[in-house]
Amino acid sequence: MNITRRASLAATMAVPLVTPALAQTAETFRIGAMNPITGAGSPYGSGMQRLIIAAAEMVNAAGGAHGRRLEIFAEDDQTSPQAGVLAARKLLDVNRVRAIIGSWASGVSLAVVPITNDANVLFMNTSGAPALSVPPANARGLSYRFQATNDRFGRGFAEIAVREGFRRPVTMAINNASGIGNTEGFRRAWAAKGNANGVHVVYEPSQPSYRSELQRALSSRPDVVVMGSFLPDTTIILREWVQMGVPVKFIVPGWAGNPQLVQALGPVVTEGIIAVESVSNEGTPGFTAFDEAHRRMMGGRSGLENVYAAMTWDMVVTIALAIEQSRSFETAALNAAIRQVANPEGDKISTFAEGKAAIAAGRKINYEGASSVLDFDEFGDVTPDFGAFFISRGEITRRYIVKI
Amino acid sequence: MLYLQLAANGVVYGLVIGLAALAITLVFGIARFPNAAAGDTMTLGAYVALGTQQGSGSLLLGGLAAVAAAAGVSLLAWALVFRRLAKRSVVALLVASIGAAFVLRAVMGVAWGHQQQVFQVPLAFPILLGELRINPMDLWLGGVALAALAVTFGVLHLTPIGRAMRAVADDPDLARISGIRPDRVMAAMWLLAGGLSAVAGIMLAIKTVVSPELGWEMLLPAFTAAILGGIGSPIGAVVAGLVLGVAQEVSTPFVGFTYKIALSFVVMLGVLLLRPRGLFGRLEAVR
Repeated sequence: MNITRRASLAATMAVPLVTPALAQTAETFRIGAMNPITGAGSPYGSGMQRLIIAAAEMVNAAGGAHGRRLEIFAEDDQTSPQAGVLAARKLLDVNRVRAIIGSWASGVSLAVVPITNDANVLFMNTSGAPALSVPPANARGLSYRFQATNDRFGRGFAEIAVREGFRRPVTMAINNASGIGNTEGFRRAWAAKGNANGVHVVYEPSQPSYRSELQRALSSRPDVVVMGSFLPDTTIILREWVQMGVPVKFIVPGWAGNPQLVQALGPVVTEGIIAVESVSNEGTPGFTAFDEAHRRMMGGRSGLENVYAAMTWDMVVTIALAIEQSRSFETAALNAAIRQVANPEGDKISTFAEGKAAIAAGRKINYEGASSVLDFDEFGDVTPDFGAFFISRGEITRRYIVKI
Repeated sequence: MLYLQLAANGVVYGLVIGLAALAITLVFGIARFPNAAAGDTMTLGAYVALGTQQGSGSLLLGGLAAVAAAAGVSLLAWALVFRRLAKRSVVALLVASIGAAFVLRAVMGVAWGHQQQVFQVPLAFPILLGELRINPMDLWLGGVALAALAVTFGVLHLTPIGRAMRAVADDPDLARISGIRPDRVMAAMWLLAGGLSAVAGIMLAIKTVVSPELGWEMLLPAFTAAILGGIGSPIGAVVAGLVLGVAQEVSTPFVGFTYKIALSFVVMLGVLLLRPRGLFGRLEAVR
């Protein structure tokens, strides 16, 4: 017998064709979990990734999404656009994922979204940059943001600044989409309230000293510094500030004014700092389901500690519900179904199993998530509420909630 | 007055760049390749100092342990990697050093985690010299840097092994036929470069936060200083580091805070175009 290379190749290729039933049962819906395990997002990244895995397990335990199991491929984007692009390429080219979810930093999301657009897959992030709402980043409407935009954060900052009675704010922003988005959002909202804006200082990350930047910001004797910053630069700036001996208050984003900041600087330096963070959809059944999973996956720690993990949990549930709704695994059909399952009108449901049953019964559903009520506007953005957290004696306490 | 204050703000950073550049230029002068692992040796120094300080409560002890550990790892990297590749091209050695850097960083990430950590140092109000505000910690760090420089230049110029190092840097073949044992010179140089990196790493870490990327991010300014100073020139590296650190801060009223980093690259371009041998470098002799 003469077996040619071509014949043997053809025989190999034919195997999947003659066993379609077997291939069908093994088929999964592949999702890429791309999270900041290292870098500035590392306080949140591990929790985000573990809750993606937990949510997928929950969906699979409920019989999967339209008969398919969800399969998660995990990557670390290192909170760095370069590493994020490499991770996304690997997820798309090697793992053939149909969605990339859980990108945290704006810089990473802005770098990765053109790639997911080209690959025609869903992209879900927790980043703040306003540019992610509109073309070119969201030209195809495949990108969803489970976090408030930095612009909305800025509006939240302005509400809190008014409520706290500040009159002469200055702004300091790290030179990236997130930092500048936050401070510009604040300046716009502050001006819209008929107030005058102070100095605006934009600084570079990873500098050994920010004293010159601080001197410039504090030169106009402000009563509050509104920051668009990350944890490492905030740590360095506050330490430098306290040694300058100039009294002033700070309003910082929650991802900078977190327990790690208090641990690094101690209660004296951090006294009186106001941290603003979007708050989870607390007290709802959706949040309770997430909280249980968070405690199980994260060594008993409360789900309140990581609002981003609630967002990634919701991402998995949203995709699974969209699959159920559309009875399809194709991007276009899923994309069309996302607002159908997440937005009003419809029966309010808070878990995947509940939603699956309702869809099977032919009802229209409205998923109320763990992170927010999760209603996407025309840009794929949601509007969570903001908590004003005050750091006092080393404790971070939420005093009130601001709605914008 | 503003400019004087800005210049003062840049001095400690300049010294950090200078020390790192000195470590790079020593390797370049003697082993003849750009060592990309210098940054991660800095990080190692920072972590060892931090761990020792947390364990013993003494920053001095931490510093000494860090210098010893970084010098040891530097020597180990030479013995295991660079020594075996000594006859290969510069590119092979450069790529090997990038690999060594990756390994070091990954090990540190596993050992100490990726969360930022900080040195608990006492916070103090600035000392006023006229209108000039100087942070007391900066004075300490400046003193430490000067001590490290004094030791380094003492070794280079006052000891037999230093003389041998300079001889190898001048002409390795001539040094060998004069009876200088290259292995001893190499070992001493790698120990010295590792120790210097550790000091630079600790200084930077005290000013900022410790994370596995600490030193890697310092490589560009450090290489710029090494080139500006004239590759292989120890005194040039230190002077160039100071020039860069101070110039960055003093430039901010003109170029703003976001472009001060670009200044390093403008300087490097200028040097490469106008004076390729750097401030203190000598022209390569034509053989």
